Amino acid sequence: MSETISSAASRVALRASGKPKPATFAMYVFVGLVAALVIVGAFTTQGFLTAGNFRAIITSAAFVGIMAVGATLIMLGGSLFSISLGLTTALTSIIFMYALSLGIVPAMLAALLAGTLIFMVQGAIIGAIGANPIIVTIGAGAIQDGLIGWISPGDVVPPPGVDIDFLARTYFNLPVSVYVFIAVAIVTDLRVRRSQFGRELYMLGENPRAARAAGLPVERLTITAFAVSGCCVAIAAILIAGFAKNVNLQVQGTYTFDVIAAILVGGNAVTGGRGSVGRTVVGALVIATISDILLLLGASTGMQTLVKGLIVLVVVVLLHLTQREGRAS
Amino acid sequence: MSISGDAPARPTPISRRIQTVMPYVLLAVMVGVLLALPLLTGQSATAFNVYDALQLWSAYGLVTLGVGLTMIAGEFDFGVLGVFAFCPMIAVKIGEYDATLGLALALGFAALIGFLQGVIVAKLRLHSMPVTLGFYIALLGATMTIGHSQSVSFSNFDLGTALDAQKLQILSWRSLIAIAAFAGIYLVMRFTPLGRDIRAVGGDRRASRMVGVEVDRVLILVFVVSAVCSALGGIMQAYSFATALSDPGQMPLKYGVTAAILGGVSLVGGIGGALGIAVGALTLSLLQELFSILAAPTWVSNLITGVLLVLATIAAAPDLSARWQSLRTPRVLPASPPTPAAE
Repeated sequence: MSETISSAASRVALRASGKPKPATFAMYVFVGLVAALVIVGAFTTQGFLTAGNFRAIITSAAFVGIMAVGATLIMLGGSLFSISLGLTTALTSIIFMYALSLGIVPAMLAALLAGTLIFMVQGAIIGAIGANPIIVTIGAGAIQDGLIGWISPGDVVPPPGVDIDFLARTYFNLPVSVYVFIAVAIVTDLRVRRSQFGRELYMLGENPRAARAAGLPVERLTITAFAVSGCCVAIAAILIAGFAKNVNLQVQGTYTFDVIAAILVGGNAVTGGRGSVGRTVVGALVIATISDILLLLGASTGMQTLVKGLIVLVVVVLLHLTQREGRAS
Repeated sequence: MSISGDAPARPTPISRRIQTVMPYVLLAVMVGVLLALPLLTGQSATAFNVYDALQLWSAYGLVTLGVGLTMIAGEFDFGVLGVFAFCPMIAVKIGEYDATLGLALALGFAALIGFLQGVIVAKLRLHSMPVTLGFYIALLGATMTIGHSQSVSFSNFDLGTALDAQKLQILSWRSLIAIAAFAGIYLVMRFTPLGRDIRAVGGDRRASRMVGVEVDRVLILVFVVSAVCSALGGIMQAYSFATALSDPGQMPLKYGVTAAILGGVSLVGGIGGALGIAVGALTLSLLQELFSILAAPTWVSNLITGVLLVLATIAAAPDLSARWQSLRTPRVLPASPPTPAAE
């Protein structure tokens, strides 16, 4: 499961020759630099090497991680990514809060159904007629933005008498969201690696034209990938609502780009067909760790965002170059 | 490296003609609705409403021009959001001391950012989406850092007042500058080989290389123009509002993509032009103004813009006609295999 960037780079290097090529070498240097930054940060930053801080890192990675695991399937299937993921998070968390008056289980089911359906419809448009995924998801985002404005003009809080504290409770010093993250990652990874669906999804992402020619159910695969992603978004939205206790449009935060960053930093191919859930988990943890160090060093939110963007850029470029070298050799 | 991963089905000549005419039809419908407004609602559009629509057009329309050009070249530029945030911040910060220097530096940064994006996409043959997304996130972070995550005010109110002053009732220096930018790019695309080359690169990159089009140079130039146009739109808006925002959100991109598609830019690359983009952006600006006249809440505008974008994307989807045909053609069941007894 944990096929990391460095292992991918080393595989390429070994295949080529005993001596790493320039881009592979650059990838080593980058991975080394990130590792060095984490180690130096660990020993020089007060409060980093504490159990509480490690809990903070994995907790902050959990929400993004859950959504990124689902969104990995969209990227593996060659449909790039969703630009409206953050808005679906906000919308499903609002639906969850409203539906709480019916009880906790119906509220969860309503949110899961809403998240899954919202993404399924987008997947259907993309899979059935080959519509551009970025434009479809931008449009879907605008529609959801409108819906949020319509159904929720302000903050939505749980109705009196309904207790949702258990969604943020900690067990063995870790919050529920971390266990959910681990469970979602394992189940999705097994499904992707050991099922016909997973194999066909990889084939679709690797070469859509060949997949169609081979008679693969392109439409069904794309819809399923989107549905799983929407379900993961809804799971995260329920947990976020449990943490925040009141939800509104602002719940979307920077989740859309954080999720894409986690998938890309993990080393998944943006064009599809190559990557894994494990890589995404590593990507989410790497970003959470670096953000944590920057936070402990007193860096502003802006600086954290800047570093995140640069990491995405460097990883995308270096990974592309190492893969190109691998293909050339 | 086309933005539609799969090989696109080329439009038929009839659908191509419809695509060419559609932006003007949509604009005519929009103007018709505005003219018929007194009959429909009792309210009417004034010259000020047209002026207001053109003010929006001058900011977001230039983003549309940038995004539209990259789409014609078969790419996609998330970076327009980054420069739309970052360059106005530079222009306002430096502009406090010298507005001209602030403008020049900000546009210089935009050109550099566009150049870097173009070089990475063209020379390394990398997918433009993750590259420009990385740039967007980094630039947003840089903007927030410079502005300390707060809006930065600009004390030179005279500049904003001069830019916004009404000319011929419906125009201003802002809209005139935007018109000049559109006209310049229209003339270059219409009367120089560059326009043909940009469409060729978007339509069939491999064939373009084979016939001698300097694909890399074209792509780099398109990204530079995209960044400079978006920055110019953002800077003029910031000077006009006397404020640079630390995070302008994703609205400029949503507007830009919707307007480009309404303006006849094809999602598969190779089709579209500056005039169509200008018309698409004007249609969308007038639609926003219509919502403003009707005092419709923001969510209505978001909802309708989203529905418009999804419908336009469905209409432009490469496999739509094939899907439609398959639904209309009755399925012929295969003949039953001969039974052993019949043999």
